[in-house]
Amino acid sequence: MGKIERSQKLFLDALKEKFHGQDPKSVNTTFYNFDGVKQSPRKREFMAATKAIEQKRGISMYDPEHCHLGGIPMGQRQLMTYEVSGTGTFVEGDDLHFVNNAAMQQMWDDIRRTIIVGMDLAHTTLQKRLGKEVTPETISEYLHILNHAMPGGAVVQEHMVETHPGLVDDCYVKVFTGDDEMADSIEKQFVLDIDKLFTPEHAAVLKKNVGKSIYQAIHIPTIVSRTCDGGTTSRWSAMQIGMSFIAAYRMCAGEAAVADLSFAAKHAGVIQMATHLPARRARGPNEPGGIKFGLFSDIIQANRKYPNDPAKASLEVVGAGTMLFDQIWLGSYMSGGVGFTQYATAAYTDNILDEFTYYGMDYIKDKYGVDYKNPSPAKLVKPTQEVVNDIATEVNLNGMEQYEQYPTMMEDHFGGSQRASVLAASCGITTSIATGNSNAGLNAWYLSMLMHKGGWSRLGFFGYDLQDQCGSANSLSMEPDRGLIGELRGPNYPNYAMNVGHQGEYAAISGAAHFGRGDAFCFNPLVKITFADPSLKFDFSEPRKEFAKGAIREFVPAGERSLIIPAK
Amino acid sequence: MAYTPQYGPGTSIVAENRRKQMNPNYKLEKVRDVTDEDVVLILGHRAPGSAYPTAHPPLAEQQEPDCPIRKIVKPTEGAKAGDRVRYIQFADSMFNAPSQPYQRTYMEMYRFRGIDPGTLSGRQIVECRERDLEQYAKMLIETEVFDPALVSCRGATVHGHSLRLAEDGMMFDMLQRCVLKDGVVKYVKDQIGEPLDREVSVGKPMDDAWVKAHSTIFHSLAGVAFRDDKEYVEYIQRIHALRTKYGFMPKEE
Repeated sequence: MGKIERSQKLFLDALKEKFHGQDPKSVNTTFYNFDGVKQSPRKREFMAATKAIEQKRGISMYDPEHCHLGGIPMGQRQLMTYEVSGTGTFVEGDDLHFVNNAAMQQMWDDIRRTIIVGMDLAHTTLQKRLGKEVTPETISEYLHILNHAMPGGAVVQEHMVETHPGLVDDCYVKVFTGDDEMADSIEKQFVLDIDKLFTPEHAAVLKKNVGKSIYQAIHIPTIVSRTCDGGTTSRWSAMQIGMSFIAAYRMCAGEAAVADLSFAAKHAGVIQMATHLPARRARGPNEPGGIKFGLFSDIIQANRKYPNDPAKASLEVVGAGTMLFDQIWLGSYMSGGVGFTQYATAAYTDNILDEFTYYGMDYIKDKYGVDYKNPSPAKLVKPTQEVVNDIATEVNLNGMEQYEQYPTMMEDHFGGSQRASVLAASCGITTSIATGNSNAGLNAWYLSMLMHKGGWSRLGFFGYDLQDQCGSANSLSMEPDRGLIGELRGPNYPNYAMNVGHQGEYAAISGAAHFGRGDAFCFNPLVKITFADPSLKFDFSEPRKEFAKGAIREFVPAGERSLIIPAK
Repeated sequence: MAYTPQYGPGTSIVAENRRKQMNPNYKLEKVRDVTDEDVVLILGHRAPGSAYPTAHPPLAEQQEPDCPIRKIVKPTEGAKAGDRVRYIQFADSMFNAPSQPYQRTYMEMYRFRGIDPGTLSGRQIVECRERDLEQYAKMLIETEVFDPALVSCRGATVHGHSLRLAEDGMMFDMLQRCVLKDGVVKYVKDQIGEPLDREVSVGKPMDDAWVKAHSTIFHSLAGVAFRDDKEYVEYIQRIHALRTKYGFMPKEE
């Protein structure tokens, strides 16, 4: 370890804006003079909205000046705004609660309603069992029918009810393949063009991994997955696939071969975004707790857009991951609470984690000669314990010192869990990028935790006691613990299952190993391609920008019901 | 070979202060006087002078099972009397409050009996039988592990440990349970935030030189940088490396 000079402080602009007119290095400030909860425009909006609601329904609602602490409202200190990192957009904290942010909801909707289904098994059944001809033309016709059926259009039977296209306009199916000739022969509207979406190097790798197989990237209607659940996605999709095959290939609706097609569409040819969870978690497939960290890093597309900036690519995974795993999964699905919003937002606001991570980039370049802007497996450092310790120690000490030197930043991250996650994430991401090894990154995370606790005699909430003080022992223990590499771990991994402030960062640490290597994908090339689709409602290459758009109410989501409710 | 506790690594004053607080053979310096009644008022669990509410009859009056552990472990006075379990919780400013959450827990585990501490980032709670608690609380408030401005007793709404200090040097408390009046810190509410019938004085805030000299937190702006205590940093690296390689049965290489 050894401190390096870095004059740029990415968080300074945010701190100056948040604590307007105050020196970011000031140690003292004033309290109790901010007019309480009324200092926040958003809280005032909530209070005004409540008046109208109460008049209409005759039941009391939001009343922060009476209900909070027996009449002492929030806002005895300054209620801060936040800059969504990397966007320059300042928002109210409330705007980052997923209930108040349509982009956050849509990100999760877009994952939950997605399923990938291979076509090879079905084509084999059609060709070998039924003797049908399968050509690019028949595939295009099938896709035409499928894009009618998937949103809820009838294809075979008489006198069927159907869904209003205006309610399900986000639903569609595209295909992709590594076979250029086949891709060129299928109607363009239905094809995900790998060559256009990825760099030539990444496209070549992805196409090689996909091979001559054809896969359907299916997105069922948001409104369906919201009304039902993630387990519905494969079922809804399989039903429409089966009917579309019957229609496109003029099959008998009751013939035995349909069962083969159904089995392929429901099970054998299906790639879920998330595995189902044990009964005690009571969730089917395609729910957040079953998303593997490596797969999540493939869903997020920042490395596709910014292949020469692995730090940014990782930070976007952090933002998306903490939102999904902390705010939605642990915060509401699992805990049943209003959400753990501020555990998560610390990691993607005010450029604080960004600054710590780029300090790490400067450090690995300075100390180890890692040219992180030109990712390559050939330029990485061997992940020895000494290297992990060195990188994690320096990046962690720098982060702690920044918090100390800028007391406004400490005030910004007012909770120990926030600081612990941010410090450890910067260590983990830096180490992953330097070594190309996600378990080295995880190991760095845990050293950061021990060091943090040693330095400040505190860490995060009780959950940090659980996993972060035994993490050193399980981050590389493959045999004794039947452990997994980071990419294969997920939110339900032992010790990770109920701990806010970790999972999004772990996902990024897994991704960072590959972003640092310049890999085309982290875990599953099919997922990487599927979420590169520009037709998706949520732009997975810029999750933080999308969240900012949601916060300032500029994001247009799917699943709206205004078509079928009275106009206001 | 008898084990001699070392109470932690480090060559800095911070490390030394940590060891002193943990070491039960070191007598914590008494810095202020707070009466027994005042401690009871700050705690807010019972009215001064009232009987201790009980969770069970005194041990002497109830049939004890024939349990070898009960023969080995001597009950505390509170346990003997059947007191209910109550708590004191502290928020410690990161600007050199003389004790800090984990440090408090370590210290209490070495010095007190019959306790159940809980450690978080912004607060540390210790629970035990009520009459034992009052003794422990008195020590925790009267000695060098307390500073009236930088440490405060907060049952709920603890927000403040990481914030800048108020202009008068007090740690933020949205309930303003204690206020600085004429240079003396006075509790006007008990630790849970119920207003007190009278103010309870806990003395003058210690000066900067004192809090720096008694700090148990590394802080590059307000005191000693963690980086500067190389022994401490290397110790943590070593623990981490040993746990990585050997789990929780570490071996020297």
